[in-house]
Amino acid sequence: MKLSFYPGCSLEGMAADYARSIDAVFKALDIDLVEIDDWSCCGATAAHSLSEAMSVILPARNLSAAEQMGLDIVAPCANCFNRLRFSQQMIQKKVLDIPWPVTGDLKIHDMTRFLAQPAMIKQIKKRVLKPLNGLKLVCYYGCQMVRPPRITGYTDYENPQTLDRIADAVGARVIDWSYKATCCGASIGIGRREIGNSLTKRLLDKARQAGAEAVVVSCPLCQSNLDMIQKDGLEQPVPVFYFTELIRLCFSERRDPKWFKMHFADPVPLLSKINAI
Amino acid sequence: MAVDLKSPVGKVIVVGGGIGGIQCALDLADTGFYVYLVEKSSTLGGTMARLDKTFPTNDCSTCMFSPKLVQVAGHENIEIMTRSRILGLKGNPGRFTATVQKRPRYINEEKCIACGQCAEKCPKKVPDPFNGSLGMRKAAFLTFPQAVPLKYAIDAEHCLYLTKGKCGICRKICPAGAVDYDQKPETLQIDAGALVISTGFEPALTASEGEFGYGRYQNVVTSLQYERMLSATGPYEGHIRRPSDGKVPHSVAWIQCVMSRDPSRNRPFCSSVCCMHAAKQAILTRTHEPDTRAAIYFMDVRAQGKGFDDYVDRARFNYGVQYLRSMISQVYLNPENENLIIETFDHHLNRKKEEEYDLVVLSTGFKPSQGFSDLAATLGLAANPYGFLTTEFDEPVSTSRPGIFVCGGIEAPKDIPETVIQAGAAAAEAAILVSEARYTETATRETVPEKPIEADPRVGVFVCHCGTNIAGVVDIENVVAAVKKLPHVVFATDFMFTCSTETQQNIVDLIKEHRLNRVVVAACSPKTHEPLFQETLKEAGLNPYLFELASIRDQCSWVHGNNPAKATQKSKELIRSSVSRAVQLEPLYDNSYAVVNKGLVIGGGLAGMTAALTIADQGFHVYLVERSDRLGGFAQNLPFTLEGHSPARLIRYLIERVNHHPNISVYLESKLDSHRGHLGAFNGSVQKNDERVDIQYGALVVATGGRPYEPKEYLYGQDDRIVTQVQFSKRLVDDPSWARRLKRIVMIQCVGSREPDFPFCSRVCCSAAVKNSIALKEMNPGAQVVVLYRDVRTFGFKELYYQKAREKGVLFFRYIPEEKPAVYDDAGQLMVDFTDRSSHRDFRVSPDLVVLSAGIRPGEGAMQIARLLKLPVAETGFFLEAHVKLRPVEFAASGIFLAGLAHSPRFMEESVTMAKSAGQQAMKILCKERMKTSAAVAEVDPEKCAACLACVRVCPFNAPFINGDGVSEILPSACMGCGICASECPAKAIQLKHSTDDQVLAKIDALLASAL
Amino acid sequence: MNTTVMDHNMSSERRPGEERKFIGDRGDYFLNRIQGETNGNVSACYQCERCTNACPVSHFMDIKPHQVIRYVQLGWREDLLRSSTIWVCLSCEMCTTYCPNEVRVAEIINHLRNIAAHSSIAPKEKQLAVFHRTFLEVLSKSGRVNEFRLMKAFYSKPHILSEKIKSGNLKEELLLGLALLKKGRLKPFSTRSKLTKDIRKAYIQSRGEIV
Ligand code: SF4
Ligand code: SF4
Repeated sequence: MKLSFYPGCSLEGMAADYARSIDAVFKALDIDLVEIDDWSCCGATAAHSLSEAMSVILPARNLSAAEQMGLDIVAPCANCFNRLRFSQQMIQKKVLDIPWPVTGDLKIHDMTRFLAQPAMIKQIKKRVLKPLNGLKLVCYYGCQMVRPPRITGYTDYENPQTLDRIADAVGARVIDWSYKATCCGASIGIGRREIGNSLTKRLLDKARQAGAEAVVVSCPLCQSNLDMIQKDGLEQPVPVFYFTELIRLCFSERRDPKWFKMHFADPVPLLSKINAI
Repeated sequence: MAVDLKSPVGKVIVVGGGIGGIQCALDLADTGFYVYLVEKSSTLGGTMARLDKTFPTNDCSTCMFSPKLVQVAGHENIEIMTRSRILGLKGNPGRFTATVQKRPRYINEEKCIACGQCAEKCPKKVPDPFNGSLGMRKAAFLTFPQAVPLKYAIDAEHCLYLTKGKCGICRKICPAGAVDYDQKPETLQIDAGALVISTGFEPALTASEGEFGYGRYQNVVTSLQYERMLSATGPYEGHIRRPSDGKVPHSVAWIQCVMSRDPSRNRPFCSSVCCMHAAKQAILTRTHEPDTRAAIYFMDVRAQGKGFDDYVDRARFNYGVQYLRSMISQVYLNPENENLIIETFDHHLNRKKEEEYDLVVLSTGFKPSQGFSDLAATLGLAANPYGFLTTEFDEPVSTSRPGIFVCGGIEAPKDIPETVIQAGAAAAEAAILVSEARYTETATRETVPEKPIEADPRVGVFVCHCGTNIAGVVDIENVVAAVKKLPHVVFATDFMFTCSTETQQNIVDLIKEHRLNRVVVAACSPKTHEPLFQETLKEAGLNPYLFELASIRDQCSWVHGNNPAKATQKSKELIRSSVSRAVQLEPLYDNSYAVVNKGLVIGGGLAGMTAALTIADQGFHVYLVERSDRLGGFAQNLPFTLEGHSPARLIRYLIERVNHHPNISVYLESKLDSHRGHLGAFNGSVQKNDERVDIQYGALVVATGGRPYEPKEYLYGQDDRIVTQVQFSKRLVDDPSWARRLKRIVMIQCVGSREPDFPFCSRVCCSAAVKNSIALKEMNPGAQVVVLYRDVRTFGFKELYYQKAREKGVLFFRYIPEEKPAVYDDAGQLMVDFTDRSSHRDFRVSPDLVVLSAGIRPGEGAMQIARLLKLPVAETGFFLEAHVKLRPVEFAASGIFLAGLAHSPRFMEESVTMAKSAGQQAMKILCKERMKTSAAVAEVDPEKCAACLACVRVCPFNAPFINGDGVSEILPSACMGCGICASECPAKAIQLKHSTDDQVLAKIDALLASAL
Repeated sequence: MNTTVMDHNMSSERRPGEERKFIGDRGDYFLNRIQGETNGNVSACYQCERCTNACPVSHFMDIKPHQVIRYVQLGWREDLLRSSTIWVCLSCEMCTTYCPNEVRVAEIINHLRNIAAHSSIAPKEKQLAVFHRTFLEVLSKSGRVNEFRLMKAFYSKPHILSEKIKSGNLKEELLLGLALLKKGRLKPFSTRSKLTKDIRKAYIQSRGEIV
């Protein structure tokens, strides 16, 4: 299977570890991810906030490139996914002229939904060498992946299931909680840190209260936001995993603690506690 | 019998066995038609059977409903067909043939004795749909203890034998040999002249909607589930417990408008009943568990019914229910204790507020019952986009297919009284259609001949649990044991629900078996249940007057709920006293008299004319008396309705019909100035100028109408830029160019309504404001319309017009009564200052016109009629009906009915419905030849009478008179058996039969005996 | 909940002595414009406050989401463009998702933010506005946004440093930057997209122009 891959800016920097784990997982699953030729930034919140035109045009350039390649797109970052889908809808509605040839006909998957399809879950389960038994975690989807439903296509936006299904497939104990899609405030973090922090802290409290020892996410912004706040060490750190990191762990014979060196809340103690590393 | 193909069939099919279907069936069967009551489930009852108590009286739903169920079950002209549905319909109005399929019950109805052994032994447990799946039942089951018919059924989907061929236990153990796994669906052809659809509604919320965590969090339940949780027959036996851990919740929150008023889920309409439903549940919660906090999250309180605002105020101020005007998005779970968290925004502190509740109740809206769309397709009925069979305002019970009528929740979501009213109206329409065939298909009940009774009293006592109503407090076993020791008692036992149909049969058998000749039932209240048990005695060949009821629910368990020991003691004493009286009882025999088959209607407005036509169209004569010089009433002032119809045209049409109807005599500029007699045989006189005409009538409908309130507020009458909604809508029509010049108008709601001196909501004014706003916006889109409201009460499908008005740009701002808007003149410029409660800002606007939504007041003639007929009137001047839920169009005084604005403010279609219903109730009397009277009347002993006139003076019913012999005589047909005369008579010349001195003294002595 | 009571000036309650707001003529023009440009069902709102209750940051806003809709209905452009709300909003879409009347609250707020960005009105939340602008500048220079470069550019904007000092956040943020560098999460060098010229052209063309 072949898909075009839109990594998004974070995967080259803040979320390089995410990129590596994606690479390993898709290789193991025999799926060819072809990076979109010369992709460019989707514009993220900034374009959307200041220039709605740019928020359509910027992703469109990438859609156009993917169309040239003729491959459906998979995007690991929730924000990129959201912006690509938004742009796609606007292109289909023909609200403005796009400087590139683009029809908006490709499928755009968010990576979790792609991997949570029944057939994929089967593939994942087949390759699990050692399940992550005993890992108590909550799945955190954030806002951009699920909302607004008319763009993301998530009808179960309050209680989405894609990450839950994947985490379950790798043997983790998934705890249901109510804050799956409560905003973590990443987009405001730099300009008004105290607002962002108050939202992030609250989410971690809620996760702990639910009995989770870790959080699993798919969005680089959510990950860095939830992880960074733990930089000074917390009494009860809550490691924040990319879901592909978990899959990679289970797929691998040799598990390397270095895979997690970019994390602030160090997952290694937790993983060794459950004999996963 | 030779059949004339043109003449109609005197039979009607009523589809749906809830309160609407039952009422409609009774209203038809009691007026000479044969009814098939077709119900798809295993029992009659519908939604009402699942309710615990009802608003606004907090009456027990089962206690009100059971007598109705029993009445239907025992009616010789009603054939109940459960587990049945209509598969096809041929023919024309007056002569239809329906194909009805009866699904197997797998238990032979004839043989089942409802012993319940099958359910007891059945190994297969199934979540109980009747209890909203909160509890379990078996695959062999009885839906609820008062089910009608009281026959068990087997759930084919879950039965182990029917699904897997294993088990078969129930067949083995059934003592009656009633279990029959081989039953096959049967298909029948039924002739009927008309059909009435009353298939009701069901909660619209399903777990798949995912709203508010329903289906995800255990402690989030729907309002109907909560109703079962409150009910004594429910999964928790009437104790409030939360599903996750069975603990008493310390706090309960209600969330309103779930699946209602929600265009985003294609449910843009209001479900009408949920606001009151929640208020009631909150009150009951606070009564059951005084330490439990009750909070209701809502946006508008829709308490538009009679006495509803008062009820909500009681919830708030007497019961401490918190009303929080805020809609929430999501319910969160506290994983530590399974509590639920509701987040709101606190404007005062400017912060987010998290509140935790042990239990959350979702006030879910309603949708047509499952399978209704198939029925509609089969019958070719046009439904609205949300699946309901909405009707037109001038034909409020007619569907798109002639000969098929509709009532109840399937027409639009509505509460019990509105359903009962509409059921009567649907019955009226069906009856009019087939009136030629009255009495052609009916049977009369065979009376069981009375058996001679033995000289020695043999008393049987039956003690009722009334679910947990009595048994929850009173120690029944103890009571029964004590009762058995009383003199003359030869038999005593207890029943879960003594009033259930099955128990009646049981009692008949026991009477025969033990040769009982006196029966005492210790139960709820004689007021509601005595007639029922008297019927049972008749079935057993016993004179109905040999019955006595000891009221141990009302007088023991309810009032002494916190002292079970004393309540038990008191029960024993009351029963002992009842037994003593029973011993003294003697058989009495009822009389009968001829009925005057003519009706009288007072009031010639919309309701009066409609009621008159309902009777006249069924071939009976009606006198129609109107005070003013023309027919038409208030409605002729209204140029158009919310939905765009023309009331004036309807009124013109009705006047035309009334004036030319051979069965109607109209008296204009007239009033009823005397009224005597009794049910079935009244006589009175109509006064017109100086003339008087004496008339006789068997029944009477009061439709004295209403009038608009004349505001004293907001400069009305001092400045001609201030007008009422009625004036405004007239001017809109009369002077469109004026309307197009208007730049800005302000409407003020609740003028003269919901005020301390007039606490009623006038029900129609919100819709009037919406209607006129839309009309103005359509003529003049640039006009700015500002509506200042307290709650927007566009209930039901009227909500769609509220939505439309907003979309047209009408601005709705909420004010509170403590901060009323100020209207003033500022140097010639009209000004309105107000404070908006949602933006918390003070506003000023300078409109061209201020329109006041002035409420409705009772009609002018109402007081005179109330005095003349001795009818009860509320403080507001509207008449009081006999029972707010189940007898909404009757007065307590027999033979007098009520319709239209005289009852309460209502919409025109509602008045029309009510008038048809009142007419139909009157028909129950008018269509009879003779009327039976009770034998429990007062009798004068002429030997002792001194003709002192005491009785003549005190009798409220004018029954005693001094006869030719110079002594008092009491007309049995006029006597209501109140006994006032008997106690007043200084010569002790009057005895009230069935409450003779001996009987009363026996009772008192027995009571006092225990005090000694 | 660990809610800090924020600035009381942000309370949506009436402040004593506040002047009465006059409902006048201009309303419909602005309303129609916003409605036309966002297709946001502005008029359908019945002020149920679901949006404000759902919003994770309503306590940091001076005009609460449901009031935003009311203000748009009344045509109060100035108040809206001067508000903190339009900058504080996270575009998390809670409001739109849960609005029963399908009012596109988030889209309307975002659109107001767009209008504000192109107006002469000084943004109430300056740092947020500058941050977004910096992001787009970095983007149009290299086609992709490298976090290190973004942060550098942001801090070199006039007043940002001084404001961070004033708010006492500077130390905290520098430490965070260092930590990120240490963890290898900030990369001083980065890839670029080749087509930056195209992007820049599109950016210039679209500047000032709103969908
Ligand atoms: S949720 Fe929608 S209808 Fe309710 S106040 Fe907000 S915008 Fe208005
Ligand atoms: S999108 Fe903005 S206004 Fe809407 S809920 Fe999120 S932060 Fe609040």
